Amino acid sequence: MAKKLEGYKGKAKNILDKQSFETWDILNIKTEKTEYQGILLPRNEYSRPEFIEIKLKNNYNIGIYVDDIMEITKIGTEKADYKIPEKKFPKTKGFPEVKLLGTGGTVASRLDYTTGAVIPAFTPGELFSAVPELAEICNLETEILFKILSENMKPEYWKKLAEKIAEEANNGKDGIIIAHGTDTMGYTSAALSFMLKDLSIPVVLVGSQRSSDRPSSDAPLNLINAATVATSNIAEVMVVMLGSTSHEYGLIHRGTLVRKMHTSYRNTFRTIDDIPMGMVKNRQIKMFKEDYNEKNKGKTKAMTNFEEKIALIYSYPGLTEDQINFYIKNGYKGIVFAGTGLGHVSTQVYSAIEKAIDENIIVLMTAEPLHGFTGMNVYSTGRELLDLGVIPGRNMIPEVGYVKLGWVLGQTTNLKDAKELLLTNLAGEFLPREKPIAFNYDIDSLLRNDKL
Amino acid sequence: MSKYDYNELGLKCGLEIHQQLDSETKLFCRCPNGLQGTREPDFTITREMRPVLGEMGTYDKAMLTEYKKGMNIVYECYNDVICTYEMDETPPFKCNEEAKQIAIKIALLLNSNIIKEMHVCRKNYLDGSVPCGFQRTMILAKGGFIELEKGKKIGIDIVCLEEDAARRTKKERKTNYFRLDRLGIPLVEITTKPDINDPDECRECAERLGMLLWSTKVKRILGSIRQDINVSIKEGTRIEIKGVQKLDWIPILINHEVSRQKELIKIKKQLQSLSLNKNKVSGKPKDLSKDLANTQCKFIGKGIKNGKRVFGINFKNFKGIFGTELMPDYRFGTEVSNKVQSISGLKGLIHSDENLPKYGFSKEDITNIKKGLNSTNNDCFILILGDQKEIKSAIEVILDRVDYAFEGVPPETRRALENGNTEFLRELHGGARLYPDTDSQAIINTDDEINNIKSQVPDYPWEIINSYSNKYQTEQRVIKDLIFTNKLSLFEELIQIYPEDPTLIFTTLLETTTALQRDGKEMEHIKDRDFIHIFRLLEEKEIGKEAIENILAYKADNPKLSIEEVKEKLHLESVDKNELKEILTKIANKNEKLIKERQMGAMGPLMGDAMKELRGKIDGSIISKELQNIIKNKLKEM
Repeated sequence: MAKKLEGYKGKAKNILDKQSFETWDILNIKTEKTEYQGILLPRNEYSRPEFIEIKLKNNYNIGIYVDDIMEITKIGTEKADYKIPEKKFPKTKGFPEVKLLGTGGTVASRLDYTTGAVIPAFTPGELFSAVPELAEICNLETEILFKILSENMKPEYWKKLAEKIAEEANNGKDGIIIAHGTDTMGYTSAALSFMLKDLSIPVVLVGSQRSSDRPSSDAPLNLINAATVATSNIAEVMVVMLGSTSHEYGLIHRGTLVRKMHTSYRNTFRTIDDIPMGMVKNRQIKMFKEDYNEKNKGKTKAMTNFEEKIALIYSYPGLTEDQINFYIKNGYKGIVFAGTGLGHVSTQVYSAIEKAIDENIIVLMTAEPLHGFTGMNVYSTGRELLDLGVIPGRNMIPEVGYVKLGWVLGQTTNLKDAKELLLTNLAGEFLPREKPIAFNYDIDSLLRNDKL
Repeated sequence: MSKYDYNELGLKCGLEIHQQLDSETKLFCRCPNGLQGTREPDFTITREMRPVLGEMGTYDKAMLTEYKKGMNIVYECYNDVICTYEMDETPPFKCNEEAKQIAIKIALLLNSNIIKEMHVCRKNYLDGSVPCGFQRTMILAKGGFIELEKGKKIGIDIVCLEEDAARRTKKERKTNYFRLDRLGIPLVEITTKPDINDPDECRECAERLGMLLWSTKVKRILGSIRQDINVSIKEGTRIEIKGVQKLDWIPILINHEVSRQKELIKIKKQLQSLSLNKNKVSGKPKDLSKDLANTQCKFIGKGIKNGKRVFGINFKNFKGIFGTELMPDYRFGTEVSNKVQSISGLKGLIHSDENLPKYGFSKEDITNIKKGLNSTNNDCFILILGDQKEIKSAIEVILDRVDYAFEGVPPETRRALENGNTEFLRELHGGARLYPDTDSQAIINTDDEINNIKSQVPDYPWEIINSYSNKYQTEQRVIKDLIFTNKLSLFEELIQIYPEDPTLIFTTLLETTTALQRDGKEMEHIKDRDFIHIFRLLEEKEIGKEAIENILAYKADNPKLSIEEVKEKLHLESVDKNELKEILTKIANKNEKLIKERQMGAMGPLMGDAMKELRGKIDGSIISKELQNIIKNKLKEM
């Protein structure tokens, strides 16, 4: 039940309350100079308290200053009843069976036209009426697991997702699409990569940088590309999003090498330290890399234990021991540093790191420049850190280091085993070598080079 | 031009005027507010637009029609004047204060009530003209009026502040190219109420709105002001006519639209009187490619050979309908074929109300078609030629449009053509495409801010025209021209400096400038301060008025020189009375013979010689007076 005067405060609320008006009433508001007619709208609670917000007949919204108001009368009430058309998603015999799991985010949503709020639109029918092409690619089922913004993701949700995927894979689904907000998509893709052992089908994370209620949204093409990859034979956890600002092609990123690199560009996701696995355009896949597992009939296992007491610390000029001591005191089991340059921290925090390691906390070093390997033998700082027992994270980006350490410590509490696991390539997160083209790759040179 | 009894017809017109504002930067980003002309773009991007569900869970018809066209969109971008905002890759920045203030001034001139808390809304567009698929727009003021010369007040509905769309640079087959330089330029949209009941009144109202706008800080270049007209008559429908480029087109366009609506209503009544059943009129579309395999009609024959197909549809008892003229040179058939081409891309539609042998059809062809379609002499059939996809889409459009003939005038947005006719542009957008912008905050207009702008509101241009033309004894047109060329404030300064001859100032600012421009001189090189300088020299008698044109021409060619330097280059150093006497005496001495022969009649030729030497250095009337004296004295001596 909506609140009577949703979002109104102070003067405006008093005036409306006095005559028992409610949001969605159609009001005639007389001011000194003119009068306005419109639907009383709920108000954003962070907006100014001295205005009354209405939707005029021409659909524009305006705010009327309460001190200008002489008289308000009620003409009627109109609560919009939003119906989303339910077209049945057509099933085609012989088409791959794909499951779309919803977690929130803007890839599948529609708009409350009055308030501007985004409502998830998610049934197969809704998706079909928005992107009918999906029915030409697969038979689709959907299920909403959570409705959260991706910044509110947490390890507990990764577990649920991994378990659900394993269940679906083992029940004969051909592929999984996960609709996910883009902010933390890279974390989720890394977590699923570690949690899903012997994955037998494609798992594709997809989102949109322009919400699907906009005509220019990247969501439809991203969904079509994701469905294409989800029906392929690539049994990996992948992120599939637009590869350029144009609505032309998507890139297939490995779940442990991908990162959001721009706040708002459509092609925000990039594979770091390597080239993308492949591209998808006009429902065709072109692979750039062959080192992927193929779809198989094996059993997918979800190993979802995760140690949540892991800290991710940026190394920066001025970093003091306080932060590290805080984590030691609070019983953290692992610390991941995004170290400067090749993987360094200031000598000022050495003794705190030493203390942490003494307390059996695993300290993993990744590189803040994101691209390239940690090189802890090059400078004395690196050698000293290694000497203290810091583990070099090789080419892992800090977030993947964080997820991996949490997952590893979820599997074993034995420090020796944990260190060994940490240094093992579990899900393609380690690269044997960095291809020269990997830093600053662009699609034209990827397409030009036959041998990559 | 046919005239109607507009009262009886119940003519209602409203205007929608769009005017670009001349702020430093764009409305929601800080890119420069200007166009790049024909400069090649630095790079392009491609996008796809999809209709989104409207408020009631349905698609807006106009948006679907646009989507059905299946057009690809290419955006042309520049690295130095476009940012990621225009590309729809970054959320909007703060609304431009300067633009807002100009818009408030305009709204105050229209006696409109400023909205104290503005909410940015999104208005969906699927034609590609806005990369994000919607235009950001807000109501800035509501109500108000503009007064016409005879005192009639035309109501103002709303004044909006919004972003301009991108400009379409070309259309190549199925791709529309838009350049992003225009996107985001602040725009004021003024919508009047449908209070206008006469085409000439509409013209006057548009002119007054234009003048009013041009008396504020707006762009004054071709295309910076765009006017749309809404026209309806009793039993007709509101039709939006876009792209009206000249004021003089307005009455013609309205008259043609009145004619179109009248005829469409007539057709509706005719169909009613024939008691035709809407659902039984059209026969099944039929592929006639085989029947016409050996046709005499060349382009159909060629099309079939190239793999295209010919389809026919028969309309029962429709004889004469497709041939009914709605506007000059525009039949109901034109109306249908127009819409077909716009939506499906299929060109040309032939109907049996036309002269078929003209297309090269033989008698046998026509018999074959009629047989194939079961068409009788009371029917009308149409033929279309295209590929399968085009035909499918064309048939939908044709059946839909013929269906609407039973209802009268379909609501549409139409494009103005130079001959006064209009053509289908798109379906009229419904209200469902307007919704709040979730990317921006409400914008507050405080009383202080509004009152401050109120104190700077200028007089109405038509009042200025009246008072100035009286005061300076000149035609109203001259003052109007000053306003439209943005030279009124310069005139006000110049008349302070040189009060004795307003006509000279008018001539200099308008005619002389235009003439020089016509000669290819780049008059934008001449700044206000240069005119001021010239009239100061004139006032101080440093130059004669004959010198003005030369100075302006020279300055236009040599923009780096100051007026002082131009004056020296032209040897316009002034001549005093003694020097003048000396020069004129020399001339007279040289021409003694002529003076003897022609007496005072020698004045003309001698004046010519004198002007050659003295043009612009001293006022011509002074030369003439002095020369007269000298000749008289000479004659006395003789």
